[in-house]
Amino acid sequence: MQGTKVVRPFPFFRAGARASQPQLSKPILVLEDVYKFFRPDQPTLRGVDLSVERGEFVFITGSSGAGKSTLLKLVYRELRVDEGRVLFCGRDIARLTDKSIPFLRRNLGIVFQDFRIIDHWTVFENVAVALEIVSMPQRLIRSRVAEALERVGLAGQGPEQTSNLSGGEKQRVAVARAIVPEPALILADEPTGNLDPHLAIDILTLFEEINSTGTTVLFATHDHSLISKRDHRLISIDEGRVSEAQQGLKHWQGSSGIHTLVG
Amino acid sequence: MDVKNAITRARRGLREERRLYIVAVTSLAVAFICLGATLLGVTNLDAAATRWGQSGRITLFLKDDADPQDIAQLRVVLEGLGDVNEVTHVTPTEARESFLEEADVGADLSGLPSEVFPASLEVTLVQGVTRERSESIATRLAQFRAVSDVESYGIWFQKLDQLLWGARMLALGLALLVMFCVVAVIGNTIRLAVARRRQEIEVMKLCGATNGFVRGPFVLEGMFQGFASALLAVLALLAGYLALHESVDSTLAALTGSRVVFLGAWTLVALLAGGAAIGAIGSAVSVRRYLSV
Ligand SMILES: Nc1ncnc2c1ncn2[C@@H]1O[C@H](COP(=O)(O)OP(=O)(O)OP(=O)(O)O)[C@@H](O)[C@H]1O
Ligand SMILES: [Mg+2]
Repeated sequence: MQGTKVVRPFPFFRAGARASQPQLSKPILVLEDVYKFFRPDQPTLRGVDLSVERGEFVFITGSSGAGKSTLLKLVYRELRVDEGRVLFCGRDIARLTDKSIPFLRRNLGIVFQDFRIIDHWTVFENVAVALEIVSMPQRLIRSRVAEALERVGLAGQGPEQTSNLSGGEKQRVAVARAIVPEPALILADEPTGNLDPHLAIDILTLFEEINSTGTTVLFATHDHSLISKRDHRLISIDEGRVSEAQQGLKHWQGSSGIHTLVG
Repeated sequence: MDVKNAITRARRGLREERRLYIVAVTSLAVAFICLGATLLGVTNLDAAATRWGQSGRITLFLKDDADPQDIAQLRVVLEGLGDVNEVTHVTPTEARESFLEEADVGADLSGLPSEVFPASLEVTLVQGVTRERSESIATRLAQFRAVSDVESYGIWFQKLDQLLWGARMLALGLALLVMFCVVAVIGNTIRLAVARRRQEIEVMKLCGATNGFVRGPFVLEGMFQGFASALLAVLALLAGYLALHESVDSTLAALTGSRVVFLGAWTLVALLAGGAAIGAIGSAVSVRRYLSV
């Protein structure tokens, strides 16, 4: 960790810092009565309460424009809540100063629908960037990138030009970049949205493998065929509020059926 | 800030934006050449002024009917002065001969009688006598009976000073203009580079890169452009100097007795370091404005 001059109100967000024992037993992410307004009369999120335990795999669903991306953006501080609190590892990230945001993001792995990888970089460079920003020694970067590429099924493909890869492979590179710093929480915003159904299942399985090693995963999607294949916790956003099916879609207890739930 | 990483990234940036940067560096080099050429002029004027200023001379023109005893007395007084190095008596005949020898005006002047040349005492002052001191000596010497006229060359120094002042102001103005150009041109290329690398910047920010990490390479790239432009200009000027100085030297030596000099070491250092510094400032300003990290 370098750059110790930066003002950081929350020392936990320094890379390398470990959470204390009491923090580990608390939920990793808590949203308390969160409001987000893009228009003053119509909040996108209204009074959202949500608690995610360490090691959970959570689907976030809702129709287009429901606010799935908005919810995730509040967590990686692309957006700031208008009311309420967002606690990551017990710290209110809504109160983070701009200078502290990078240190929050080093604890998160973020994956998008549009991959967001740099086409004129090699696979290795695309993954290594997540470690270079914390000034990790090159030797260590090489071994950790190789390891991450192996985990996503791209072993030995580091030197390849990213522009030559298929969509599914590009998303695997993006997943490798997200997991290579070993973040506590992965935020995936419709990571399968641009992929064929069978590739979507592959990527979902990949996230589940990552989850099985202890990493918490928030997986936003409106693909109900994907959700219905699995038994994970399911959170649905509708008209700015969240409702929840603790045991997954198959055991949904609410009055509304699957189709109204996932749009 | 991780300097090593910033350098690696800046090198990649320079490679990727090479066309954009070559155009910027070439146009800025032209601006630096103008500045460098003016500085070269100032340096040479300054060197000439220093040389003339140090070799202080006073010419005492003697009256045609001056008493030889007065002249002898005047010589004794002059040789007694601490500021005087040497006194030479120039007779009208000698003055005529040296004039005919030096003046190559084309016309045949050998018919001139020696009477038109007044006798004089050529006074050479010691090194380091200030101009004010030499003026005051000249004023005092004008009081002597044998002296008809005193020439302390003050008016020439005044003219040279004015010329030097003008050249310095020109250089200063050009330096400001070049500074502005560098900031504007580099600021603009960096703005384009930022726009082209939007995606990479976004990725780095999402991974948790600090502002310094994202901005560092751009500042280095701007710094390099400023330095490269100044270096290119210095090399061009040096090439021009080496090609021309011999032919210019002989002409100048005949006219003024001095030789052409190139920019001093400190001026070169200032040009290169200044180029780098202004380049860095230009890109830092641009990056601050266009990179809302
Ligand atoms: N920066 C913004 N400015 C204004 N309105 C916004 C902004 N971001 C999101 N919104 C609005 O907030 C609502 C929720 O958007 P969001 O992107 O979170 O939806 P989503 O659930 O991710 O949809 P999708 O499934 O299409 O990705 C939308 O109505 C959108 O228009
Ligand atoms: Mg979305």
